[in-house]
Amino acid sequence: MKKLLLSFLLLITSVILFACSGSESSDGEKISVNADSTDSYPTETLNVIIPFGAGGGTDLYIRKIMEIMESEDIYTKNIKIENREGGSGATGWGFFTNQTGNPYYVSPTSASLFTTPLVSEVDFSYESFTPIALMGADDLYFLVNANSKYETLDDFIAAAGEKKMKIGGVGQVSDEMIIPSLFAKEAGFEFDYVPFQSAGELATALLSDSLDAIVGNPARSLGQIEGGLMKPLAFSGLERIEHTPEVPTFIELGYEVNLSQPRGILLPGEVDEEVKKWWVDAMKQVSETEAWKKYLSDNGMSEYMLFGDEFTEFLNKTNETFKTSLEDTDK
Amino acid sequence: MADFFTNMITGFSASLTFTNVLLLFAGAFIGMIIGIIPGFGPSAAIAILLPITLSFDPTGAIIMLAGIYYGSQYGGATTSILINTPGDSAAVVTTFDGYPMAKQGQAGKALITQAIASFVGGTIGVVLIFALAPMFAKLAMKFGPPEYFLLMLLGLLTLIWMTDDSKLKGFISALIGLAIATVGVDVITGNQRYTFGSPELISGISFITVTIGLFGIGELLYQVYAGAHGDAEVNKNVDLSLRNKKNWPSWVELMANKFAFLRGSIVGFLVGVLPGAGATVASFFSYSIEKKVSKTPEKFGTGYMPGLISPEAANNSATSGAMVPLLTLGIPGSASTAILLGAFLMYGLQPGPLLMTTNPEMTWGIVSSMYLGNIILLAINIIAIPFFLYIVKVPYKLIIPIIVVLCLVGTYSLNHSILDVWLLIIFGIIGFFMKLYGYSPAALVLALVLGPTAENTLRQSLIMSEQGLGIFVARPVSLIFLLIILIIITAPYISKLTKRKKQPVMEESSNIEY
Repeated sequence: MKKLLLSFLLLITSVILFACSGSESSDGEKISVNADSTDSYPTETLNVIIPFGAGGGTDLYIRKIMEIMESEDIYTKNIKIENREGGSGATGWGFFTNQTGNPYYVSPTSASLFTTPLVSEVDFSYESFTPIALMGADDLYFLVNANSKYETLDDFIAAAGEKKMKIGGVGQVSDEMIIPSLFAKEAGFEFDYVPFQSAGELATALLSDSLDAIVGNPARSLGQIEGGLMKPLAFSGLERIEHTPEVPTFIELGYEVNLSQPRGILLPGEVDEEVKKWWVDAMKQVSETEAWKKYLSDNGMSEYMLFGDEFTEFLNKTNETFKTSLEDTDK
Repeated sequence: MADFFTNMITGFSASLTFTNVLLLFAGAFIGMIIGIIPGFGPSAAIAILLPITLSFDPTGAIIMLAGIYYGSQYGGATTSILINTPGDSAAVVTTFDGYPMAKQGQAGKALITQAIASFVGGTIGVVLIFALAPMFAKLAMKFGPPEYFLLMLLGLLTLIWMTDDSKLKGFISALIGLAIATVGVDVITGNQRYTFGSPELISGISFITVTIGLFGIGELLYQVYAGAHGDAEVNKNVDLSLRNKKNWPSWVELMANKFAFLRGSIVGFLVGVLPGAGATVASFFSYSIEKKVSKTPEKFGTGYMPGLISPEAANNSATSGAMVPLLTLGIPGSASTAILLGAFLMYGLQPGPLLMTTNPEMTWGIVSSMYLGNIILLAINIIAIPFFLYIVKVPYKLIIPIIVVLCLVGTYSLNHSILDVWLLIIFGIIGFFMKLYGYSPAALVLALVLGPTAENTLRQSLIMSEQGLGIFVARPVSLIFLLIILIIITAPYISKLTKRKKQPVMEESSNIEY
């Protein structure tokens, strides 16, 4: 009995230890030795710092990239993945900033990379890191309840002239607030933005006829669209996506509304030019795999990829849009 | 009803494969162990193990994750009963009557009763999903911000029933909870409140930290204060084996409480179905209702079985209920189901109204695996109980450091935040003084859990109505809630009035007695 008890306690302890070490990659133990790469990058375990929780949009895509890097033998050493969530990314990126110069850390991007430094006192901004690549973009549907009388965006705009519309999204300082704001400004109507804390509450608010419209990314909205609960009136991406070829983009309809949730990859600041080049090449390789293309299409993400300096430019532009939009709403 | 059976057959034929049962067993067991560690609730457990399941086939992986989900719901109650430290917030209510039972030497009975209650709750929950999932999905679709606000208000009102020792102290405790709930980003304006520029406070003070501090550390300090660490003579002769009849609730006791099982399960399921409410709210609701309908409400809090059964049935049934909006609408109702949604997406499955038609094996496989999981957990729990009961035999002075370490480690690993550890200690001290002076830590936790949702939904409703209160009357479901609230508030006064009318008669009868 005592032995059993002891082994039971051991089990509990090991679970705790496991839990505390954060979530590690399942294939973490795989070590492949490549003879001619011993003196060149990479020679050490890669640490992936995810500033958000497991199972979220940011978590899923960066894990997918790492999975491809392992299965295609692009990264030949171990890959350790860690979720350091909290403070809208402040915890994870705060930790990531402390790794400046270390080429064995990478981190994903998200809209919070711009918004968190803009609204709170953190010791990093997107400029603290080395941009590697944009691997895709998440754009938003503009959705109404399936039984609403609005069939097109024009119907909605016409009705918005008569009554003040209520449009919901997740978060106040987020891309989901900025998209309807940009749209309203372009189309010249006034509306009330209703922020929600989670996508679940937001979706039920629309379905219970509490709101006139919501915004939502394809991954979380396609189920309801295909199931006939919600109707998409427009899409905020640069191009239509294959799941919903009939849904026009805002831009096609003549409204300059586009601000993507960037799904990119960053290295800490001040890493060697060689390492940066290695990663840009590696990401190009990942982006050409079937697995990545399938991931983008499964999740309704836009195939919008940029590397190196082009990506840096994109980040600057995105930051500018966030900044001006937030200043606008503060007024 | 025909649906019920086809659904069930599809489900069990998908889930009853050797690998799936094995994965389910592993998931349920790991979930239970993780649930025992203070601070690790279902969402933490699923998040930690999500990456490991990547290498399995989708049905097996999601069955395992679901196993972890309700496994941790079982485990969370164990420490509530044994050491007054809830494994997660849904197990807070379990401390009310579970811990007093353990203190009276009925720890075994409490644990087994809790396991049975969880099993019954889980079973009823699964049956309700099989039979009526689409109907409940419609219910979830009726809930917008105004309805949620009134539901939260109703939850806060149940505090009146929960804290009858001193309503004023209960009220003050709840106000402290509401005050703590204001820390963090104001969801409506995006401004920070009381964060003092600290990024660690942006997402607010976690109720998990507060709960472990108030209950776990607070109770420890109180026990030390009461001198429990000095007495080394701890029931050395307790018979912990399952053969000992004293460790089992009797059939008569269980049957006497059959309605507590039933009420808990149904209340739990209904609350669980609503996105955003969840197992914690379900357990508080069912406890309050149980106390309200009981003929002996004064026995609650003293180690009274219905006070243990109802919330335990409720929090497990709520776990099943929360799967309804996920499976039928593709809408996650809780942090845990949001992670499960992530898992679905990871496998290229799109949860939504069509999931049941396009992937019936998977949908019903998961639901039926939940039932199998409940059976497995009941068995694991009962077999493991003698091990847990050893805790009762260990002198308290040895337990104290172990609990402190568990609480500290559990809290730190949630967010890798040392600030959380400080908060834990601070709330431990607050918890000690609350206990010393008769304030209600439970009211504080409930207010902290309900507060943010109540605030957000009220303000969302007001934006929607352009600052008018008419919105609460204009919507049918919210009107019903409003009426229920009115009845609860006025009921005591009305019953006072009717009593006064009857008074002359009562005085006469009492005169005769004298």
